[in-house]
Amino acid sequence: MKTNRRIFMSGLAGVVTLASTRIGFAQDKGLIAILTPSHDNPFFKAEAVGAEARAIELGYDTIVLVHDDDPNKQSELFDTAIARGAAAIILDNAGADATVAAVQRAKDAGIPSFLIDREIKETGIAISQIVSNNYQGAQLGAEEFVRIMGEEGNYVELVGREADTNAGIRSSGYHDIIDQYPDLVMVAQQSANWSQTEAFEKMESILQANPDIKGVICGNDTMAMGAWAALEAAGRDDVIVVGFDGSNDVRDSILAGGIKATVLQPAYRQAQLAVEQADMYIQTGTTGLEEKQLMDCVLINADNAADLETFSLSG
Amino acid sequence: MRHSFLFTVIAIGTFSATAGCKIVKNVDPNEAGEVAAAMTDEERMANYAREIWDTDVIPTVAAHLVPLDELRSALAHDVDAAGEAHGLRPDGEANPWNFAITGTGSVIEAKTESRAAKLHLDTVGDGEIDVTLQLGPIVRGTTLRDAMPFLLFSNFRDQIEFAKLGNGLNAMAHERLTIPEGDLVGQTVTFEGMFTFKDLESTLEVVPTAMTVGE
Repeated sequence: MKTNRRIFMSGLAGVVTLASTRIGFAQDKGLIAILTPSHDNPFFKAEAVGAEARAIELGYDTIVLVHDDDPNKQSELFDTAIARGAAAIILDNAGADATVAAVQRAKDAGIPSFLIDREIKETGIAISQIVSNNYQGAQLGAEEFVRIMGEEGNYVELVGREADTNAGIRSSGYHDIIDQYPDLVMVAQQSANWSQTEAFEKMESILQANPDIKGVICGNDTMAMGAWAALEAAGRDDVIVVGFDGSNDVRDSILAGGIKATVLQPAYRQAQLAVEQADMYIQTGTTGLEEKQLMDCVLINADNAADLETFSLSG
Repeated sequence: MRHSFLFTVIAIGTFSATAGCKIVKNVDPNEAGEVAAAMTDEERMANYAREIWDTDVIPTVAAHLVPLDELRSALAHDVDAAGEAHGLRPDGEANPWNFAITGTGSVIEAKTESRAAKLHLDTVGDGEIDVTLQLGPIVRGTTLRDAMPFLLFSNFRDQIEFAKLGNGLNAMAHERLTIPEGDLVGQTVTFEGMFTFKDLESTLEVVPTAMTVGE
């Protein structure tokens, strides 16, 4: 009974998700399931697009699913991928702790998982964990922030979602640089959960309490966009805003003289690399690489913003 | 009686056979973490960096030391070949090479008052800065960590712990240096250290593991 119910549930989950899902068909090398947070954030969309394109090139069918940062939904999507007999799962996960069980379940069902962007707090369950070198990237962003701030003034930090390791590591990278400058004073530090609307609201209220701010450093680009919109609406386009991700939105803002800088995570390439490692693993039984791999980030400012397109830098 | 005598002989034999072997444990940062659960990541990784500094880190640097002049011409010829021959780097796409070098230069500029103290050197004799020695305590980058073949990201809990390890190793490099007082400009400095290769034009940002000032 238990088994039946599980199959029924996962079947149901499959039906529910299929409605909002694109399915690509290619040669018959099997199915690669691509799971990411919501595509409302172009970063995750770029990952899904990059992974899907590479998987189809390599001869796989694909199914692209979205877990909306909800571990329960992610768990259902894993059941879907398992029920569909996926050859591999490419995953940007919904929480460093909560994801461990789902990846283990896939492993037990003989399906290897290849993680991108976010780590989980266990090794030996996923085959690859390819993540941006967030600490290195945050230090680049912080150095640029310090430079533009002229090494002094009050500033605000908008932090990402706490369950996500990347929120903590970026904040840590920022502070390991900024805290060396005693004339830079953090007057507020709040989480806006990676969200543009939340960043807009938080920025509005922070600005009311602290009108004398000179800069805002953000854990990602969507929060930087939200903060910048609030600052602009309040007539405070003098405030220095720095983001993290390297989105086209922030690129356009930099080119228009709005947001000052961001840090590019090679999201598109990272997703493609995960698919290549999955293909290698499916063909040979090994990727030949360490499970956890770091990819360096690149500073984006007015000098090179024009070369940025969909999370990759040309030229 | 006979039996128990035999037993004793066997027991002694077995004991002395194993007595010659010393069981050496592999370094396991997670296990160290359990013992010191109350410590922060930063403290734990600082301790771990100290633990492996003399036994593992310095010997690895020593084993890969290349004279800077020799490395420069090798890099100019073919970066990847130079990397394969002398460099160290972790798994992953497009990870830069780290090199252990030994060199001599004259001090063009000295910023020894800063928290991120630095000596800017000319090592080719053209009067231009081409090497920066990062004296710390604030040292940028993770070259010491990334160069060590036994420090694998997979063996650490997450990026936060791994980043603190990088800082811990940089702090050890700083701690072991003696920074001479007085005006260093014009003085000759001989050093050993590691750097991460960026490109052929950039100033090398070296984390020194040994340094002497004077002729």
